[in-house]
Amino acid sequence: MVYGSNQIWAPWTVDDIHSKADLGRYRIRGMSTHQRVTHFDDLTFLSTGLTRFPLEGYKEQCSTRVELGGLNAENPLILETPIYITGMSWGALSANAKIALGKAASMVGTASCTGDGGMLPAEREVSDKLIYQVLPSRYGADPNHMATAQAIEIVVGQGAKPGTGGLLMGVKVLDEVAESRDLPPGIDQRSPARHPDWLGPDDLAIKIEQLREATDWKVPIQVKLGACRVADDVKLAAKAGADAIVIDSMVAGTGASAEVLLDHSGIPTVPAIVLAREALREIGLYRKVSLIASGGIRNGADVAKALALGADACAIGIAALIALNCNRDIPEADFEKEIGLPAGQCNRCHTGKCPVGIATQDPELTKRLDPDEGAERVANFLNSMTMELALLTRSLGKGDVKSLEPEDLAALTIEASAMARVPLVGTDKVFGM
Amino acid sequence: MVSLDASELTTRELNKQIKALAEEGVDEIVITNPAARHNLAVGIRRPCNIKIEGSVGYYAASQLDGPEISIDGNAGWALGENLMSGKISLSRSAGASVAASMRGGEVFVGGNAGARAGISMKGGTLLVAGDSGFLTGFMMQKGRIIVCGSIGEAAGDSMYEGTIYVGGEVGSLGADSRYEEPGEDELIELWAELEQNGVAGRPRFRKIVSEKKLYHYDTLERFERTLI
Repeated sequence: MVYGSNQIWAPWTVDDIHSKADLGRYRIRGMSTHQRVTHFDDLTFLSTGLTRFPLEGYKEQCSTRVELGGLNAENPLILETPIYITGMSWGALSANAKIALGKAASMVGTASCTGDGGMLPAEREVSDKLIYQVLPSRYGADPNHMATAQAIEIVVGQGAKPGTGGLLMGVKVLDEVAESRDLPPGIDQRSPARHPDWLGPDDLAIKIEQLREATDWKVPIQVKLGACRVADDVKLAAKAGADAIVIDSMVAGTGASAEVLLDHSGIPTVPAIVLAREALREIGLYRKVSLIASGGIRNGADVAKALALGADACAIGIAALIALNCNRDIPEADFEKEIGLPAGQCNRCHTGKCPVGIATQDPELTKRLDPDEGAERVANFLNSMTMELALLTRSLGKGDVKSLEPEDLAALTIEASAMARVPLVGTDKVFGM
Repeated sequence: MVSLDASELTTRELNKQIKALAEEGVDEIVITNPAARHNLAVGIRRPCNIKIEGSVGYYAASQLDGPEISIDGNAGWALGENLMSGKISLSRSAGASVAASMRGGEVFVGGNAGARAGISMKGGTLLVAGDSGFLTGFMMQKGRIIVCGSIGEAAGDSMYEGTIYVGGEVGSLGADSRYEEPGEDELIELWAELEQNGVAGRPRFRKIVSEKKLYHYDTLERFERTLI
């Protein structure tokens, strides 16, 4: 007997109910959403032919340098590649992982970012360009640290769990991490969702001015939003005075989130960029306020498509961790035995038992990640992405990634056409317009 | 002593001059005509004495490490936000979120404090001579909040550690907070502290601390039980 598959009561749905029946609370995991969404794979570039000619793909000069946050800051953030490493906390990640990410960013002339636990001094030492996050929790917040940053990021929301704060299980809140966050060691830390000192966009404008005064108007102030009500949120953030806006989509990663938030809140990256672009255009601030896209950026093609849709830069998280060895079957690790899942399928960052020494505070596991070797791998990956981006840009006949535009793209599905506002391949039709 | 007339300077110019004077080691900086402007005396990270003659707006004396600042007037939201060390004295009342996320030092409010006083506090002491509002000590982590008058609803909601002392009535306790009896020595120390700050009276303080029932998830998944 062969039965059909059941869409509603799929095996994982049955298992989910069994788990919650045992547990009596929402489930938690890391990585990103399991929802199927329209993504960059649903778009393709219309490279050159007879209507225009390409640049030499492998050699000819193509600028990948971008300037972010120049609207009010004396020193805008200048990146040699439009890809930087997003905020991930020391606590969610090991110190070795944070150091490796900072080093890698410096090696390729880009930036990394602190996270929900303050600035790790060793990360500062190795990072030429460090973005300092101001989060609702304010764990480890220190004006002395902030004064050393090359940009400030006010986190309003995170794509993987918009509308709520960070989560760090007690197994990762060990002595040093607990001390830096002023928390009792071992507690399951559930961070606040609201900032302690401001609530609405009018307050945010004053907060932005405060941070400018605290940093002498030298560095850009960016605002990070979980992609939900994008058009309104972007306009309000821009009106409040942000120099740059980060749109973090529902496919963005996390070290720990309630599953229900991962899978059932936010919107995907492609429409998030387009809505943000149009919102900025509507208020006359497109290309004045920088737009940074994050969520599911995996390769140079994703970056190129994000830029073509209107982003000025992209931030990566999970991709950088994978380059660092996340989910890699390294000789020192035994994934099945140590984490209960095979390498390549692990999403158990929240347990603190990361077999490759990235999402852990366990001193023995942490030793499995050499920060220098890790930095080398992440730098290689960033260089690979940048080369892919430049290759695609040249194939479109352009010598600067800033020249990428929606007209370079076509959609492979009707949904992607509607969300990206570009024609469906084989037609002149932009669906939904 | 150097006096700066705020009415003749932009906020940017004013903060720039304050920082420069603090750097030079001027013994006292007096700011006149603040006109309740936002973001005055922000981001000063060295010891100095500043006197503000009048009311201030949001974020006055915030992001500081070291200064002693006295303000003769009222303050808007987030006075003393993220204070690392030093002392801020306000003669009259403060708006919402006074001493939000402060990590050290002292904040004194001569009048009343608004909602969310000492929210997310991580160290130091907030002393309020009058009453404080809704959600005082919300998610506080460390430090002390001393309220000589009454506290509004949801006092100490979700606090991790730290202590709230209250001399008057409590609207209600917040989630995961509870009363604890203060010791006599504790009360004597508190009264001495009030006297040092010129606050009259010896309130019979009640003490609010964390019940610590929200420290951990109650249950773990099967696979988590084998790993965590």
